[in-house]
Amino acid sequence: MRLTVSISPHIKASRDTPKIMRHVIYALMPATIASLYFFRWPAFFVILNCIATSVITEEIILKLRRKPSGIKDGSAVLSGLLLALVLPPATRWYAASLGAIFAILVAKHLFGGLGNNIFNPALSGRAFLVAAYPKMMTTWSEPFTLSAVTGATPLALRKFGHTLTPVSNLFFGNTAGCIGETSAVLLILGGIYILMRKIADWRVPLSIIVTVSLISFIFFLVNPLNGSVLFHLFSGGIMLGAFFMATDPVTTPVTKKGRIIFGVGCGTMIMIIRYFSGLPEGVMYSILFMNSFTPLINRISRSRSLGAAGAIAIRRKR
Amino acid sequence: MIQAEGRKLPQHNSPIEKFLEAKKLYLHLSQHTGKPSRLLLKPQDKIEEGDLIASGGGLISASLSSPASGTIKEITKFNHPVLRKSEAVVLEADGLGKSYSVGEDVSVLDKSAILDKIGNAGIVGMGGAAFPTHVKLKPPKPIDTLIINGCECEPYLACDYRLMMEKNDEIFKGVELVSKIISPKRVIFAIEENKSEAIKKFNSIISTKKYPLPSAHVAILPSRYPQGGEKQLIYVLTKRKVPLGGLPFDVGCLVHNVGTLYAIYEAVYYNKPLIERVVTFAGGALKKPKNILVKLGTTVKELFDTGALEFKTEPEKIIYGGPMMGIALNGLDYPVMKGTSGILFLTKEEIDTRDEDVCIRCARCVDSCPMELLPLEFVKRVKNQEYSSLNELYIKDCIECGACSFSCPAKIPIVHYIKIGKKYAVNS
Repeated sequence: MRLTVSISPHIKASRDTPKIMRHVIYALMPATIASLYFFRWPAFFVILNCIATSVITEEIILKLRRKPSGIKDGSAVLSGLLLALVLPPATRWYAASLGAIFAILVAKHLFGGLGNNIFNPALSGRAFLVAAYPKMMTTWSEPFTLSAVTGATPLALRKFGHTLTPVSNLFFGNTAGCIGETSAVLLILGGIYILMRKIADWRVPLSIIVTVSLISFIFFLVNPLNGSVLFHLFSGGIMLGAFFMATDPVTTPVTKKGRIIFGVGCGTMIMIIRYFSGLPEGVMYSILFMNSFTPLINRISRSRSLGAAGAIAIRRKR
Repeated sequence: MIQAEGRKLPQHNSPIEKFLEAKKLYLHLSQHTGKPSRLLLKPQDKIEEGDLIASGGGLISASLSSPASGTIKEITKFNHPVLRKSEAVVLEADGLGKSYSVGEDVSVLDKSAILDKIGNAGIVGMGGAAFPTHVKLKPPKPIDTLIINGCECEPYLACDYRLMMEKNDEIFKGVELVSKIISPKRVIFAIEENKSEAIKKFNSIISTKKYPLPSAHVAILPSRYPQGGEKQLIYVLTKRKVPLGGLPFDVGCLVHNVGTLYAIYEAVYYNKPLIERVVTFAGGALKKPKNILVKLGTTVKELFDTGALEFKTEPEKIIYGGPMMGIALNGLDYPVMKGTSGILFLTKEEIDTRDEDVCIRCARCVDSCPMELLPLEFVKRVKNQEYSSLNELYIKDCIECGACSFSCPAKIPIVHYIKIGKKYAVNS
């Protein structure tokens, strides 16, 4: 009789890393397909470009690092897709490729690869492009047009044009904006999917949404031109950020309490940037900013193990 | 805590069978928590069933009585699932049985008389930890809550459930005895909802008020793992947290497994020491999974040789205990001990053999940890050999239940790293 001898437990949950990545990709499909409808071929090519460049970059780096191929874990596909979804539809091909290379090479592998990076790769790639091509990254297309006609996003219109886009347009995605950010309803749908599948913790999106709602409500009461709660929730990158960027397991806290702190921090930063900075939108910088606090949040939110609090009391008594 | 597939069928529905005719018994002197028992006999000595073979070897230890009448062949090192090789008495049974009849009137026994009987019977916790029961029944602090543990949260195992179904009156008599010793304010029977028949039975017995127990009730718990762990169960039922390094009596609780209570009943009513127990033999490699009452020291090999158990296919893994915390064996030459609740024979399809991947910090291990620890941090630090910081993360609080490894999508053997970490954390 040939027997396997190994450590307990001997049975394990069926879910593995590739399955988790796949579910997130499925959850992004409604918003991705809608973006093709709104922004047509340009969006298609940016998405294809980002995914292909990410996967190729990942494979080359893994080869150089003498590590097994990572294509099956799906993380590079997901990073590429997420990057494409936060780029303007009119992003040129070389910029999209550079962004994907930056995301995988610098943000992910220079920090040690999957599981070790501090900053969200997709958002880092976007931040790099905003710095490198500021004009291209603020050139927006109106939906259903094939060429970039420097439309303005709803948030830019609010800040610089003092006009508010109707909430219904924001909800369905019929506005200028990043490829995958515009349709709030489809992102919420995908978000609910990953929450129900327990891929992401509800604490992160919920705490972001509650924080943004509270702050924007107070500002709305002061001056309605600041934008209503729903305007702020459904414009810009909040839904994509809250459900798909701030829930990235690698770059966010591991404790339940920590995830709430992280979400509240993101929500607060977003609103500070929207109201008080020179930028119309702040989801990307807020999440990257909070990413840098993740180790600290983990440290302070560490739960005393079951009973340890009592142990400290006992020790003091002695 | 986690929700694991129960995999309790068909053993859940197979009544307890008996196999008491083992020819050769291997009795380990270490089959409980604490000091090994002290041997009283030498090779070639003749012995009757129920006679003392070894006495308790210290403050925390248990005695060992002979499961059969026969001759002691030798004292030798024999396979032990935890200690690998350990000192064991080899007994050759002559097939002469013994009948136990009701002893003196139990109602006249006082606290210390009952305790003596339990101590002499060598009873230990039958749920797996095998902590000497007579020690547990002398708590240095008052107990207000007596918890009867019928959770049996490990997949596959069904021996406790069968006892609850077939020996419920006996279990209640055992509870009555324990409650006489420690006089609690309330008695809680904790049973998971996947044992609905047992819940019904226990509820109906309580409603008859046949046994005078202080405010007894059945707590129906959702089926989760490791809910049957002492500290978890106390927390779930009373919201009290047992302090680190502390024991249940620190929070006024006492937890006993249903199997232990049955053993207490037999010891006090019939003067029958702990010499046999119900063991679940299950898994896809068996022709017919069974719950069998066997004598302590019966080897798995003998059960197969005599046809009490039969293979359907070759097993890929043999597990001593449950699939979450049990130990993988390298063969059939292992004896049943006091704390053995099950032995599983699993096929390749039933076990997980996927390779370890990188951690993506998804924190499923953190969410599943019943002790609220950070398993992923242990793994990271052990891999980096940063042993000195492990104690700050309360690594010693880990109960090695395996919930983290179970839920890890990267299939990291987290418990393995924690065991290494515990070893070095002590030394640093």
